[in-house]
Amino acid sequence: MRIASGLALLFILACPVPAAAAAGDEGRLLYERQCAACHTIGEGDRIGPDLAGVNERRPRDWLLSFVTGPDRMIAAGDPVAVRLYERYNRIVMPNLNLSEEQAGQLLEYLALAAPAAAAPAAAVTELPRPALAGPQSRVLQLFLVISAVIVLVFTWVALSTRNPVEVDVHRAYSIRRVLFVIAVVALAGLLVLTLPKAPYARAGAEPARVVYVAARQFDFLFSEEPIVSTAEVGIVPTLANLVLTKDELVEFRVTSLDVNHGFGLYGPDRQIVAQTQAMPGYFNRLLFRPLAPGEYKVFCLEYCAAGHHLMQVRLTVN
Amino acid sequence: MTTRPASSQLLIWIAITFLLFPVLILLGILMRSIQAGEISALQPWFYPAMTLHGVGMVGVWYVAAMACAADVLSRHVTLPPALGRLAIAGTVLGVVLLLACVLLGRFAAGWYFLYPLPLKGEWPLWSAVTFLLSLTVLGATWFIWSLGLLWAISRRFSLGQALGWHYLAGRTDPVLPPSVLITTVSLIAGVAALVSAVIVLALFYLELLTGQASDALLMKNLTFFFGHTLVNLAMYLGVAVAYEILPEYAGRPWKTNKIVVVSWNTVLLIVLVAYFHHLYMDFVQPGILQYIGQVASYASAIPAAVVTIFGALLLVYRSRMRWNLASLLFFLGLVGWAIGGVGAVIDSTISVNARLHNTLWVPAHFHTYMVAGLAFLVIGYFYHRCQEAAALRESKGYHQLLIVLMTAGAYGFFLMFYLAGAFSVPRRFAVYPVEIGHGASFAGWAALFATLFLVGFVLTATEVGRRWRAALSSAT
Repeated sequence: MRIASGLALLFILACPVPAAAAAGDEGRLLYERQCAACHTIGEGDRIGPDLAGVNERRPRDWLLSFVTGPDRMIAAGDPVAVRLYERYNRIVMPNLNLSEEQAGQLLEYLALAAPAAAAPAAAVTELPRPALAGPQSRVLQLFLVISAVIVLVFTWVALSTRNPVEVDVHRAYSIRRVLFVIAVVALAGLLVLTLPKAPYARAGAEPARVVYVAARQFDFLFSEEPIVSTAEVGIVPTLANLVLTKDELVEFRVTSLDVNHGFGLYGPDRQIVAQTQAMPGYFNRLLFRPLAPGEYKVFCLEYCAAGHHLMQVRLTVN
Repeated sequence: MTTRPASSQLLIWIAITFLLFPVLILLGILMRSIQAGEISALQPWFYPAMTLHGVGMVGVWYVAAMACAADVLSRHVTLPPALGRLAIAGTVLGVVLLLACVLLGRFAAGWYFLYPLPLKGEWPLWSAVTFLLSLTVLGATWFIWSLGLLWAISRRFSLGQALGWHYLAGRTDPVLPPSVLITTVSLIAGVAALVSAVIVLALFYLELLTGQASDALLMKNLTFFFGHTLVNLAMYLGVAVAYEILPEYAGRPWKTNKIVVVSWNTVLLIVLVAYFHHLYMDFVQPGILQYIGQVASYASAIPAAVVTIFGALLLVYRSRMRWNLASLLFFLGLVGWAIGGVGAVIDSTISVNARLHNTLWVPAHFHTYMVAGLAFLVIGYFYHRCQEAAALRESKGYHQLLIVLMTAGAYGFFLMFYLAGAFSVPRRFAVYPVEIGHGASFAGWAALFATLFLVGFVLTATEVGRRWRAALSSAT
């Protein structure tokens, strides 16, 4: 069993890496396809540890053994492998079926690759609760009001049993008819009002920009061209920092390279502003017009295994 | 006071339910405590616990509702005893397999195991296979159980009669108890759901054996058709029991008539297409199905609210109601069904779902109607039958206290779900990212309220248990 894109290498202790040199392309492709969903080089730990400086931290033989058979090393009780397994939430790095030659190429790439230029932002441990606004606020108020009415009606009926008397069933049935008509009219009215607001892409809608999104366990890749398989990762150029323009209609074409994921777009006020699912074999087309500038976050909103809650990416609206 | 013995099979189901339910509640409290950051060391267990909690709760309340409905049905038709024994044995075996794959294999694909996740997680392959075997055993057992109950009904009522169609033609002979009508509707829907589950499982096995991958959209449709229908019909079975028992406390009849027949036949059609609302955010699903999903979801509110809820209120209104633990739980169970239903209908609006889908609003509404709705109805029936057999003295004040504890605890932790959902806090996150860190405080309060509910439930189960022991000696 494997996690599709992989918990690539379980090593510890980041340390500076010498300036970059050109890396072997095979090693880079292996890293981007199999490792980058769970690891970084110099940007800190994700699902697994930061791989910057990994060649300096462990003997090469140990690294080759681990990369080619992490499950075997953990099962055999290798103390370092077990310690890392415990440290990273007891998630077993999948066996990626790499040959020793491929593992060597990967280590070579990691030795030469520059750590990400930007240092990780200072860790923010707490943010104040955002203000409740927008459609979510109205929905909550509506729900609370209707629930209160239900509680009042049931309470009134329960208390009425203190004064028992025979009720006129025919009068009750005429009340039911009135309620039926009210319910039908109210629900039909709501249908008429809300169905046109469904967020599906419509014929004639012309986005100013199309952005492809490939979701995989446990990250999102933005690109100008579609990525439909793991084999295309590392070949099709990706957008490291997606920047959109305020009020400009953008179409996200969202797919998945492994399991179902959710593409949940959170606005600068940290509330969901749009979402769609990422499903293997399909592209969901999400039209979105950013109305507020600022930093947006995408979180995975469909449970996708152990790293689900860590699966996120940011984008900026100018 | 006259007593009426309880069936030994019902008593076994009561024991199974009351054994599993508190354990599953503890798993829920564990999950909310991990999300609150109170016991981070157990975070690796969050997703396996979530899977066990989800599958366990859905399964427990489905079989408990089936057991209650079968017990009520036995008043009107003859049930083969072997059928009930098979249901108990198959369910226990399925639960053992489920416990093995989660506790030993750390299987964690969630309760609806969305394809292809079971085959692509961090757990070993054997645990995924064991999980699928567990569902196969449970599905096959429940499928036979449902068909067996339908067969028992068919020996007294033709299908048309069991669905009340003769009432539509103006005839009332044979008299059809509402509980039989609703149980028939639920069982037919259940058979359809279980057929869908069989197809899903077969496609999983096919992939395991041949490597032939399935279409993700097809599997999603089949999975939600199965899951949505099963959860809804469990609720309906609880309502069927209320139709049968509540009149005994109100001292008034609650009979089948044309409106009730139209209502529940409509429910049968609606429940089979309303599941589309689970796929609103899959934009490649044909648009017409999405709109049908919203129309059907809205339409489902009318028979529920205008016929059943209104009928129950009319039954109780100014009646000589005998309030005790059972009748209070039945009455409150209908409140929970109504409030949870409102939350569900709101979320079934496509444009609203775009903001609430897979946030904590979803567990908010299904916990409301599963716990404060279905569980209250079932616990009420368990108490009713044990008390009927044991005839022990009832302490009104103490029972009211139990109701207050359970209700306050339940609605407290529901409210935390609703608030968090409105704040866009996602469901199924073991740890909240800093941007959604406010989810942790909702989780902390929810854990406290759920603990209060657990205390109320354990004390209530003790009250039922005293009567259960007495009922055991006279069980049939």
